Amino acid sequence: MSSELTTIGKKLPWPYSPAIVTGKAIYTADIYLPGMLYAKVLRSPHPHARIVKIDATEAEKLEGVETVLTWKNVPRIKYNTAEKNPPNPQTFVYDQYILDEYVRFVGDQVAFVAAESEEIAEKALNLIEVEYELLPAVFDPEQAMKPEAPKVHESGNITGEIPLSVGDIAKGFKEADFVFEDKYKLPIQHSLPLEPHVSVAGFDEVGNLTIWTSTQTPFLVRTKLSKLLDIQLNKVRVIVPNIGGSFGSKQDMVSEQIVALLALRTGKPVKIIFHCEEMFYASRTRHSGMVYLKTGVKKDGTFTARQCRMIYNTGAYASCGLAVLDYGAWEFFSLYKCPNLDLKGYCIYTNIPVAGAFRGYGTPQVNFAVESQVDMIAKELSMDPIEIRLKNIPHQGDTDPLIDEVIRSCGLQECIEKGAEAIGWLNKRKNGKQGVKRRGVGMAIFTLCSGTKPALPEFASAIVKFNENGTVNLLHGISDMGMGARTTLAMIAAEVLGMPLDDIVTCTLDTSSAPYDKGTHASRVTYVGGNAVKLAALRARERLLNCASEKLRVSKEDLDIKDRTIFVKSNPSINVSITNAVNFATFGKEPEAIIGEATVEPVYNAPSFGANFAEVEVDMNTGELKVLRLVSPNDLGKVINPFGARGQIEGGLIGQGLGYAITEEQIIDHSTGKLLNTDLKGYKMTSPVDIPDVDVIYVESMEPTGPFGAKGCSENCMVSIGATIANAVYNATGLRIKELPITKNKILKAIKIG
Amino acid sequence: MTRKILLQINGKRRWLEVEPDWTLLKVIREKFGLLGVKQACMVGHCGACKVLIDGTPVNSCLIPASNVDGKKIITIEGLAENGKLHPLQEAFIKHNAFQCGYCVPGVIISAKALLDKNNAPSKTDVKNAIKGNLCRCGAYPVMIEAIMDAAKNLREAG
Repeated sequence: MSSELTTIGKKLPWPYSPAIVTGKAIYTADIYLPGMLYAKVLRSPHPHARIVKIDATEAEKLEGVETVLTWKNVPRIKYNTAEKNPPNPQTFVYDQYILDEYVRFVGDQVAFVAAESEEIAEKALNLIEVEYELLPAVFDPEQAMKPEAPKVHESGNITGEIPLSVGDIAKGFKEADFVFEDKYKLPIQHSLPLEPHVSVAGFDEVGNLTIWTSTQTPFLVRTKLSKLLDIQLNKVRVIVPNIGGSFGSKQDMVSEQIVALLALRTGKPVKIIFHCEEMFYASRTRHSGMVYLKTGVKKDGTFTARQCRMIYNTGAYASCGLAVLDYGAWEFFSLYKCPNLDLKGYCIYTNIPVAGAFRGYGTPQVNFAVESQVDMIAKELSMDPIEIRLKNIPHQGDTDPLIDEVIRSCGLQECIEKGAEAIGWLNKRKNGKQGVKRRGVGMAIFTLCSGTKPALPEFASAIVKFNENGTVNLLHGISDMGMGARTTLAMIAAEVLGMPLDDIVTCTLDTSSAPYDKGTHASRVTYVGGNAVKLAALRARERLLNCASEKLRVSKEDLDIKDRTIFVKSNPSINVSITNAVNFATFGKEPEAIIGEATVEPVYNAPSFGANFAEVEVDMNTGELKVLRLVSPNDLGKVINPFGARGQIEGGLIGQGLGYAITEEQIIDHSTGKLLNTDLKGYKMTSPVDIPDVDVIYVESMEPTGPFGAKGCSENCMVSIGATIANAVYNATGLRIKELPITKNKILKAIKIG
Repeated sequence: MTRKILLQINGKRRWLEVEPDWTLLKVIREKFGLLGVKQACMVGHCGACKVLIDGTPVNSCLIPASNVDGKKIITIEGLAENGKLHPLQEAFIKHNAFQCGYCVPGVIISAKALLDKNNAPSKTDVKNAIKGNLCRCGAYPVMIEAIMDAAKNLREAG
């Protein structure tokens, strides 16, 4: 390959952007099949109950209703909606049936209806007679941990716990000059992609069950459906059209099993699209809970002991709660160097909607606690928050204590320094904090790994298939949930093959043709998937060069490719176009298909790093908080496509981060278990008029194990936004808020207390 | 009771019998096959289903189809003229002003309503024009840049 990059690092729009701006891009909701039915779900009005009697006779009699399913007439197999492959019930606990005799939160599934229209299906829901025996419920995870608490599941309310330690924590606290102890509280945050959960099930031309669906994990959907419905794996086909956002919630199988079962029962295609209110009850949320921290520190700011107790509320079912806990633990261990570390994490069942994967996967919670407390420690030691961080952060060559891997690339220090300069740290920290409107700046660092190694099996596969005219179709099993994964991966192939991006078409993801992939999560796509695409492209390139070498009668080693042309390095006038070389291979004396395929297991989980900085203004009379500016230096290795990287970073900050920090919170009535704000007026996500100025800064540390030096980029900057704002508010006002979101009311309350 | 109404969508006229509970969104998508008008929150809070009715952007999920009898409706599919994209569409491609793209048709419709009245908007004007369009991917900054760029191109084109 040429040393000069022709595609990587360039601002290239998504190849399918004309379809997006003209409304031609097809998402799952845009699929309508002949004779298609519509599904609706009857949901529990009670937080905990046993279904004593359920009678769907009247509903089934309604004209246009095809079938009604209840717990009595669906397969009774325990599973987990987030289950991975191979199955790992210790982490992904089997605690759920498709439909059950018990309901465990307001919004839990009671029955499925398929009817000729959504309106008829809705009417039918009201005709299903259900008699419930009400059971005691519990909503707070610390209450649920008490022995006398109502049990959400027979096994008890502790879904699982993790103890992790390094060094000698007691010794570490003895060595400390100061010990700090604090408690932090985290809210329920909803992912709320604009495109809700939506799936269509039908049958392909040979009768295979086929699901078009908005999912991050099509192969895991296939595995779960095959098991639950007892259908041979390769006779279930999952196709992923464009995805209208996901952010983690579509990692679980939430809607696919409903339409698959209804399609099998009725023999007709069935569609479901969740209503806005259903997204609040029945999607997957970020884990709420509390984090307790105890930190021992020397006078000079060196950490001697760090101890953490995390209590994450998983709601009524485990989903991926234990894996989320693991990731939170990793964030705690990896953010700062310290010889003595101790962590206990608890994942707790309660009678609230199910928590699951959400951008950051358990790290934003613990990061809020750690990064808030580091600021408080700095204050007590009369150190600048940046100074204490620089003293304790990891660097390239350090060993990550939890995964026992040497960090091959780390631009964290540079991120902190660049961010401080960009926001005007030294001046703005000092500015007079008097008057009604007070301004301040704050910062918080973050780290997040690329991929799931070593916690779970980690690899990706790709196939680069040349067409007879020299264009390429790229096959991989990686869902693009909107972040531009298809573009990033195709750019990697284009770079290796010396072709323009436009010559490469990524095939629509279909489990019947794409190679297996575990799904889009854990910021693994660019790093893990990118390595697979790169190797597959290199193998296709080798075969292409073999043909060219035969045609040009020169040694393969003397050839290079650029601008669709294969040429002799020492004499570029001797050349053949890719088109002619492939044509020669395909239709020559010994016909050959030019295909490269590869499966790659990454070396490790290449952590990305960064720091967020914020400038805020607080009105001391009203408590109103304005975020004026965000600066986000990110070390994500080599930036493959600045359009994609900027989108991911600004998306993490503005799309969900700012809301998590200052406005978004699900309020639950603890007497009824009902959610009190289930629309986009009552639950306030960030709108265009709320946004501050944002500066994204790239610190390209060049990860040696990543494709062209790249590593993960999608979840990172979301991780520390909570503490960034909390620390800026503290700098402005001297008020320390230890509970997200930092709302006007919380600030006002803190002002009154003083 | 069904009612026969005259629909004028993207310059095409068609009479249609509509049920009283049919929304404009349902008619546009299911009777006209214009799937660029997105189905999202269905309660008028997110803006993904915005269309222009006589030049004003509205959430089509809230409008009973029977209310638009005789009115001129423009959807995202009606913006390109003779195969040439609208400057807003060109700018959204040039700036890659989106991630998942689900909100884009609604955002472009709101922006068109603004630029039709004011081709020299301030950043605040742009933010206000699209405040009814939620983008959970957080692509607002680049969308605003794209809209400002489109306005500039419209001004230069006269």
